[in-house]
Amino acid sequence: METKTWTTCPFCGVGCGIVVHTRDGRIAWVDDDPANLSSRGMLCVKGRFGTTFVQHPDRLTTPLIRRGGEFVPATWDEALDLIAERLPAFRGRFGSFASAKATNEDAFVQQKFVRLIMGTNNIDHCTRLCHSPSVEAMLDQLGSGATSNSYSDYEEASCLVLVGCDPGSNHPVIASRMRKAVDEFGTRLVVVNPKRIDMAERADIFLQPLPGTDVALFNGMARAILDEGLEDRAFIAGRTEGFEAWRAAVLERTVEEYAAVCGVGAAELREAARLYAAPPPRRGLPPGERPGSCLAWGMGITQHAHGTDNARALINLALLTGQLGRPGCGISPLRGQNNVQGCGDAGCIPDSLPGYQPYAGDVAAIFEEAWGAGIPREPGIKATDMVERIAAGDIRAMYIVGENPLLSEPNLAHAEALFRQLDFLVVQDLFLHETAQLADVVLPACSFAEKDGTFTNSERRVQRVRPAIPPVGASRPDWAIIADLARRMAPGAGIDPRQFAYGSAAEVFAEMARLTPQLRGISYERLDREGGIQWPCPNPDHPGTRFLYADRFPRGLGKFVPVRQAEPAAELPDSAYPLVLNTGRVLYHWHGGTITRRVQALVEQMPEVPVAIHPDDAAKLGIDEGVEVVVRSRRGRLTGKAVITDAVREGSVFVPFVKLQGSAANFLTNNAYDEPSRIPEYKVCAVRVEKKRPRPVGAIGAPPTASRGR
Amino acid sequence: MRVDGQEVEPAGTILDAVLALGISLPHLCKDDNLPAIGACRTCLVEADGRVVAACHTPAAGVEEVLTASERAVRLRRAVLRLTARMHGPRPDVEGGPRSAELWAAYGEHGLEQPAYPRRARDTFDTSSPFFHFDEQACILCGRCVAACQGLQHIGAIGIAGTGTHARVTPGAGVAFAASICTACGSCVAACPTHALRPAPSSRDGVRFERATEG
Ligand code: SF4
Ligand code: SF4
Ligand code: FES
Repeated sequence: METKTWTTCPFCGVGCGIVVHTRDGRIAWVDDDPANLSSRGMLCVKGRFGTTFVQHPDRLTTPLIRRGGEFVPATWDEALDLIAERLPAFRGRFGSFASAKATNEDAFVQQKFVRLIMGTNNIDHCTRLCHSPSVEAMLDQLGSGATSNSYSDYEEASCLVLVGCDPGSNHPVIASRMRKAVDEFGTRLVVVNPKRIDMAERADIFLQPLPGTDVALFNGMARAILDEGLEDRAFIAGRTEGFEAWRAAVLERTVEEYAAVCGVGAAELREAARLYAAPPPRRGLPPGERPGSCLAWGMGITQHAHGTDNARALINLALLTGQLGRPGCGISPLRGQNNVQGCGDAGCIPDSLPGYQPYAGDVAAIFEEAWGAGIPREPGIKATDMVERIAAGDIRAMYIVGENPLLSEPNLAHAEALFRQLDFLVVQDLFLHETAQLADVVLPACSFAEKDGTFTNSERRVQRVRPAIPPVGASRPDWAIIADLARRMAPGAGIDPRQFAYGSAAEVFAEMARLTPQLRGISYERLDREGGIQWPCPNPDHPGTRFLYADRFPRGLGKFVPVRQAEPAAELPDSAYPLVLNTGRVLYHWHGGTITRRVQALVEQMPEVPVAIHPDDAAKLGIDEGVEVVVRSRRGRLTGKAVITDAVREGSVFVPFVKLQGSAANFLTNNAYDEPSRIPEYKVCAVRVEKKRPRPVGAIGAPPTASRGR
Repeated sequence: MRVDGQEVEPAGTILDAVLALGISLPHLCKDDNLPAIGACRTCLVEADGRVVAACHTPAAGVEEVLTASERAVRLRRAVLRLTARMHGPRPDVEGGPRSAELWAAYGEHGLEQPAYPRRARDTFDTSSPFFHFDEQACILCGRCVAACQGLQHIGAIGIAGTGTHARVTPGAGVAFAASICTACGSCVAACPTHALRPAPSSRDGVRFERATEG
């Protein structure tokens, strides 16, 4: 039998529409969806060829309970009763990670469980590890943490500025839309990246700053704009505050001084500033419209010990030039996972309720009335702190859904030692990954291809996820598992079990929409009829919102915040570790690789961790293209394959953070944190590289597969 | 406007109107996702007495379209015969999602399985783990090239050479894996024959079974 299912890609935050074709119960082909407004018929290699992970034999097919050090298959009743019996003892010392890969519905039910049944706000997700500094800075300066504009604005911009991101690898369909702008409309392109990414080939200006000098770079651009009088005075006067104090800070140095700190040319820095502030109009710009500039950034901005400062410096630039609140401009923190936006929207963050609503009086009261019980009003502990605070005994039990912190945390050896100290760990996921192997109970969840729900992409578009195949084994949707557990625990917690008596994902969404003003006008019925809708969508007649901030910011005025360049990084190269390690991603793998390692074609394409190194450094170290190399930091080592390229700066090495053949960049990275957001400094640490010495080959173990031979 | 006697709104191209009525008409070089190329001529119809390619003739101003007139069918059959001279036998493997379009067109026009002249273009590129390019099945319609450039703005492939030397290629002597191809698969989705098709390993999944509890 053949079926076709219109659904949403489970990989990056672009959120492309896909049409899953099945034949005789297996995925035969994934087609693009020309009607999807976010992807317009485009797809990348992962969406097109990467979904076979859902049918990998490693899928967990039954709950597992640890008995005497071994995992033993169990029934759902046994597993959930055990959790229901153990967890109440950990109230007050409990934390939970939600998954930015799961649906809005999964996330909503999980945060409700944590707040209502466990009585804590200790819930967080991987945003902490990617865009928390962006969100922190945007909330503080503008009052909202979301991408301001839409993908269609990339095509309508007259200038695109890409900072610390590699859309060609991580957001390939956004990259296609940006290339379209450049190729068809003559849009100017500025690329800022310590690594020469593919998009740099089309760039008018390519800046390759020294790692960790971003604040100086953006302050330098601001200084150049001020010098030439290109700031938007009307916007500054009418829509912002704090300009004078900020200006004084920027004027402390000249463009030449800023450029010298970053190791870039002052003339190029000036030209980049000019293009951003006042680009020449693109072809086809409607007459009378001001040419806009889009600012897009990625982890290269955020994953630093001063990530929040970097994000602030960028937002200051947008405020200075008034590149906000119109078509063809705006600010875009590019989101890595399919549902990072939605997971935060649904309330899986420690400092606010669903819809970023504060714990303060009125709002909390609305939730308490709807849920028939009190909820905690103290902000919870952030993800990275939850892990660090295991040592102090503040966190003794954890419930982790769809995350593999033992691949994604910095300094993995340290993180693993902490996780081993937990008294009780529940992991709910598709595969028995590194973290799941330490769990007391493992619960098999359905993949995106087996359940109903919604994802919210980087342009705030809520889109439907629909089941294309039956659940694998005894797996169940995340929301259904947690609701089942919550019903078992509700009486003991003094909660009405009917609070978790959802009959379908649609019912969960309806409750979430009721309690979240920005989603109130969205329903499954509308999504099925109209396709994806961009929030804010306050009522059923509202068409959704293409760009924010047209006439005001949620906090009122936009706020300039002075920032100064700090030490470039917490750990800098020295004689023992002379090179700077930069981490990032590659097109053919996704994040830590827990999923893409289970797609044969993707592994064939890239079987080993590539270590990109500059030809001059390679010559000094006697390293040839393709040889095995060992990269060491003060915290660990990895083995990879040398790729010699002048795309990286001399003195830098680039390693994607995918784990392949037991090697992962996060064995090396530093658990130094950015203070306001507590993001780890993944982007910079000191390493040394050497040729691998040959040694006797031992058996290479297959990845653990407890679910095999089910 | 009337198509084969049925009334229809004259929006878009004649092909749009024909397909909107559910009438079957080959359109081997026109992807529903891409602008018309007008290369294959397999979409010929009679419009107010003239023979035109339906995919790039606007419907506006046209009154009477005949897709099944004796003349239109005869001309399409002739075009399809010429098309059939361009490629070799149908490979005994699963093709891409639109690979049946070519064979369906032959079937609807009562063409036998064509006679296969010796092919000069016979690259078989299996360098990508995601898809294969079996050049002997290529009809040079250009849909893949349009998808790569017009849709994805990658421009990894083009048609090099002219006449009998024309061929789809990611660069002379270059394999897909060594080119700037990003393996997005849009060309595979567009190809109306078995020429660009998913690699077997890209879909070596297992069947799904719904196990009982525990
Ligand atoms: S798979 Fe390669 S050749 Fe085909 S459209 Fe994509 S980039 Fe172009
Ligand atoms: S490879 Fe396929 S899509 Fe491309 S020209 Fe040949 S037949 Fe047409
Ligand atoms: S479809 Fe009209 S010429 Fe090819």
